Amino acid sequence: MIEFKNVHKTFEGRASVHALRGVDLSIPSGEIFGIIGQSGAGKSTLVRCINMLERPDSGEVWVDGVLMNSLSPKELSKSRKRIGMVFQHFNLLNSRTVFQNIAFPLELARYPKKDIVERVTVLAELVGLTDKLQGYPGQLSGGQKQRVGIARALATQPRLLLCDEATSALDPDTTISVLRLLKDINERLKLTIIVITHEMQVIQEICDQVAVMENGTVQETGRVVDVFTRPRSRAARSMLQGFWDPKLPSALQSTGNTILRLTFANQKVHQPVIAQLVRTCGVDVNILYGRIDQLKTAPFGILLVELAGSNEQRSQSIAFLQENQVEVEVFNP
Amino acid sequence: MINQAILSMLWNGTLDTLRMVSIATFLATLAGLPVGVLLTTTAPGHILEQPFLHRVCGGIVNLGRSIPFIILMVAIIPFTRLIAGTSIGTTAAIVPLTVAATPFVARLVDGALREVDAGVIEAAESMGATPPQIIYKVMIPEALPGLVLAVTVTAVNLVGYSAMAGSIGGGGLGDLAIRYGYQRFRGDIMLMTVIILVLLVQGIQMLGDAVARKFYHRN
Repeated sequence: MIEFKNVHKTFEGRASVHALRGVDLSIPSGEIFGIIGQSGAGKSTLVRCINMLERPDSGEVWVDGVLMNSLSPKELSKSRKRIGMVFQHFNLLNSRTVFQNIAFPLELARYPKKDIVERVTVLAELVGLTDKLQGYPGQLSGGQKQRVGIARALATQPRLLLCDEATSALDPDTTISVLRLLKDINERLKLTIIVITHEMQVIQEICDQVAVMENGTVQETGRVVDVFTRPRSRAARSMLQGFWDPKLPSALQSTGNTILRLTFANQKVHQPVIAQLVRTCGVDVNILYGRIDQLKTAPFGILLVELAGSNEQRSQSIAFLQENQVEVEVFNP
Repeated sequence: MINQAILSMLWNGTLDTLRMVSIATFLATLAGLPVGVLLTTTAPGHILEQPFLHRVCGGIVNLGRSIPFIILMVAIIPFTRLIAGTSIGTTAAIVPLTVAATPFVARLVDGALREVDAGVIEAAESMGATPPQIIYKVMIPEALPGLVLAVTVTAVNLVGYSAMAGSIGGGGLGDLAIRYGYQRFRGDIMLMTVIILVLLVQGIQMLGDAVARKFYHRN
């Protein structure tokens, strides 16, 4: 369990940057927790406050009951060994082989040689790099480098893994495979993973909960399904907009009919709600756009439909849909 | 006329130069490396941030580098006597050569260490590495190709300096060039010493490049 209590951080310089403006956030153990925001929102600073790579100016950061800001350098060094970190640009040591890179944190912690060999072998297998151990990072692809980064972060068996834009430097296919690996690790090792990203796709694929950041504050937190289907903050809505919604041709927008944006989460995806709507309310429904997707494991769908009928029928339809737990939003005001 | 005696003089001069350059390079690296590490790590934002110490240290290094070698060599004659027991000859010349090369090495080491990716250092910090671990296990190994090239540049420079040391009786090829080539108008001896010096510099640079390449694993 990680808790931020009113955390502030300002970077002094030619122009001071108020990176964190009073962050309160709690992150439960065992889940994959996403922190999303535009660049400059403060997410990287926030995640660095967990292992004190950045020290907050004020406020408290608690990790599993330990107040991180109060630790002595020695205690901090020790507790950092329980927190793994994965970086956007991998940050591997070019002078070391893949084996030596994964072994690095173990060396720092003065593990016996025999244990190091054993542990590196297990980790290489976990991330699928057994045949690359004697190569150098310079010979690997981006995805392979990140796998080394992940293996290295897991070497000392941390309870918590911090991923700072871990897939942002990777191509789409590699992104998917690295995300799958993170999901797999979360399930197998039962460790908490915190994922910093500016890509909605990352949140959609692997996160259980999400916090949306803007201007150094957390705007909204919740289960991914809830935030995706019922975003409350402007920041969350604007992050979602480009992600889900199609651009409707203007000709369609100017019809006299009502255009609705329907969001189906969980069980609703399996039910013939639209057919029932037509039968019950007697309206004509024209489907303009549809998309079905998955939020981690939960199915999730969006439909844009055009309703033709009397005003009464239209409002009846909206009521019917809401009764059936479909999120309804009038698309053309 | 080049005879056996002159050839053996050239041979001995070459050995003297090599001895001066290699010992002075070794000692200057030994002394300059920690100063370079100090310069880098005490810089603002680095792992042992100490702005005042950083500025003082940088000032001393710059001072050492700004004194022309020929003046430094004469100025520290008492110090040279104290260390080597004499101020004349090859052994004595090693002292000013080392003193002149140390701040040079320090600055080059600083440059090489600054090239180490800040992200890699941050990664080591995130694993709980202590500052000495970061220096020995991250910064120096990562900068090794650059450090080897820095030592190479220093050695090449010292070949030139050692020739200057010849002008005040330092021994080696420079000494030969001045006493025979210049003062006795032996253009042939002058030419031979210059050729040997050129070959020495080429050899040192090639060796340095080869070693640096061996440590270079970026691609």
